[in-house]
Amino acid sequence: MVPERVVSAVLGRAADLFAWSGASGSPDSLIGKRVTQCALSRICGACGRPLGRPVAFVGTSTEVGRNAFHLPPLHTKCVDALRASDGADPSWEIVTTAGFEFVRPGREDDDRRPTFQPNSLLGR
Amino acid sequence: MAISDVKEYTHLTEEEVEQIGRELDAIRAEIEDSRGAADAAYINRMIKIQRGLAAAGRATLLARAHTGRGGKPAWAAGAALLGLAKILENMEIGHNVMHGQWDWMNDPEIHSSNWEWDTAQPAEQWKHSHNYVHHQFTNVLGYDNDIGYGILRMAREQKWHPANIGQPVYNAMLATLFEWGVALHDLDIERIRKGEKDPKEMKRQLRQIVRKGRNQILKDYVVYPALSGRNWKSTLTANLTANIARNLWSYVIIFCGHFPDGAMHFTEEEIEDETRSEWYLRQVLGAANFEGGPLLHIMSGNLGFQIEHHLFPDLPSNRYAQISERVKALCEKYDLPYTTGPLHRQYGQALRTIIKLSLPNHMTSSDDPAPPERADTANEPSRARRRKSDAERPPRRTELGGWSRSAS
Repeated sequence: MVPERVVSAVLGRAADLFAWSGASGSPDSLIGKRVTQCALSRICGACGRPLGRPVAFVGTSTEVGRNAFHLPPLHTKCVDALRASDGADPSWEIVTTAGFEFVRPGREDDDRRPTFQPNSLLGR
Repeated sequence: MAISDVKEYTHLTEEEVEQIGRELDAIRAEIEDSRGAADAAYINRMIKIQRGLAAAGRATLLARAHTGRGGKPAWAAGAALLGLAKILENMEIGHNVMHGQWDWMNDPEIHSSNWEWDTAQPAEQWKHSHNYVHHQFTNVLGYDNDIGYGILRMAREQKWHPANIGQPVYNAMLATLFEWGVALHDLDIERIRKGEKDPKEMKRQLRQIVRKGRNQILKDYVVYPALSGRNWKSTLTANLTANIARNLWSYVIIFCGHFPDGAMHFTEEEIEDETRSEWYLRQVLGAANFEGGPLLHIMSGNLGFQIEHHLFPDLPSNRYAQISERVKALCEKYDLPYTTGPLHRQYGQALRTIIKLSLPNHMTSSDDPAPPERADTANEPSRARRRKSDAERPPRRTELGGWSRSAS
C-alpha cells in the first residue's frame, strides 16, 4: 500500500498533519488531545509514527530562549513538511534533543497550553 | 466509588490544591537537576544483570539438554534464571525505558524510541495503550482501558452483566496468559465489536501483533528447543514456565497498582478542566503502592511506588523510593490518603474486588474507604455533592479552544 504522504506528495497536495486539524501547521490549528498523545505515546506530531532519536522541536526564538515549545515533537525529516505547510512561521528555529519533559499548564499560567522542554539538547 | 470532584472529595481549597502542585513541581525540578551519572550507572547495571541472567538461563537449559546432566534441578534453575531475566526486562527496564525515563542519557539503545521488549505486545502499541491512554486518563471510568482490561468489572459504577459471574475464571486466565492479553490490549476489542475501530488502523495493529507474537513464539518455542537437540521438550517446557512466571508476576504487580481498597475511580467530569495540580491530585488518589525491600521494588519495576510513578512517569525509576518519602509527607500534611500496604494485602484486596464485583451490587457491600476528613474542617457541614450546573462551573476549556483563551 502506498503511504498517504507519498500520494499527497505526488499529487502536489499537503498531507494532513497528525497533531493539527488538516494540513495547516499553524499553532492555532493544533488539536490539544493529539499534542498530549504525541507527548506520552512518543510519536511524531506530523506523521503520527513513533519518534526516533534525536527528537526535533520547532519554535520561535522566544520558545528557543525559554526552552519551552508548544508544537509537538517531530522526526527530523518531518520538520520540513511542517515548515512547508500553510500557517508555518518562516522564523521558526529547530532544536534537536534526546529527551524532553512534558509540562501541563498550571492554574496561574497565563498561557494555558502544555509545553515541551528538551532536557538533553543536541543541536540548533 | 467514583469521584466527580477531587477537590470536594478531599476537602481542599483551590489554593491548597495549587500549593500541593507547587510542592510536587519542586520535587520534580530537584530530581531533574540532580539526574546524572549515578542514575545512568544504575540502568546500565540493571541491563547487564538482566542479560547475564538470560544468558545463564539459556546456557543452563542448553547444557542440560546436550549433556543430560543436572536433571530436574538444572531444569528448574534454567527456568528460574530465564523467568527472572524476563521479569527484570519487562518491569524495571522495558516499561521504564519506554516511558522515556532514560532518554536524557542520549544512549542509542536505552531510549524510548528504540527499545523493543521481551513480550508479545509491540512497543509502539504499549506506548499508546499504557503511556497515553492509561497515564493520561488514570482510573477514569470509560476512558482508562486498564480498568479490568475490558474483561473484568472492577468498579461498582460499571454495569453488571450475567457474564461477570465468570470473573474469577477470566481473572485466572488473564493472569496466566497476561502477555497475550496485553498484546491485544491496544486493539480495543470493545470498539472493534461496536464497529467503531478504523479498519485500516486495526489491520496495521494486527500485522504488528502477529509479527511480534510470531517472533516471540519462534524464539522461545522453536529456535531454543531446536538448539537443544533430542531434549528439546525440556527446553520448551522451561521456556513456557519462565513465560508463565513472568505473566503471573507482572499481572500481580499491575493489579496492585490501581485495584486495592483506597485507589479511587473518577468520572469524566473530573478531567474536564483539570489543571496540572488537579492532575497530580488525581494520580495520588487513583494509585496504590505496596511495601517491600529494594529487591522486591527492582523486580516490580519500582511499581511498588505506583503513586510516585503516576506523578512522574518519566523520572528515573531508581529515584521513586527517594521521592516517595516527600510525597508521603506531603499527603500527611494535607490529610490526603496515601494508599499502601504489604504486597499480599494489596493483591488480596484486588482479588476480593474481582470476586465481589462478579455479583450484582445489591448482593455485596462496598469496600471503599470513607472520604478523608481534615482535622481543621471536621466540624464543618459537608459540602453538597450534587452535580454542578454549567453556570457554577468555570468555563469549559476544550482541548483546542482553551489554548487561545486566557486563564479562567
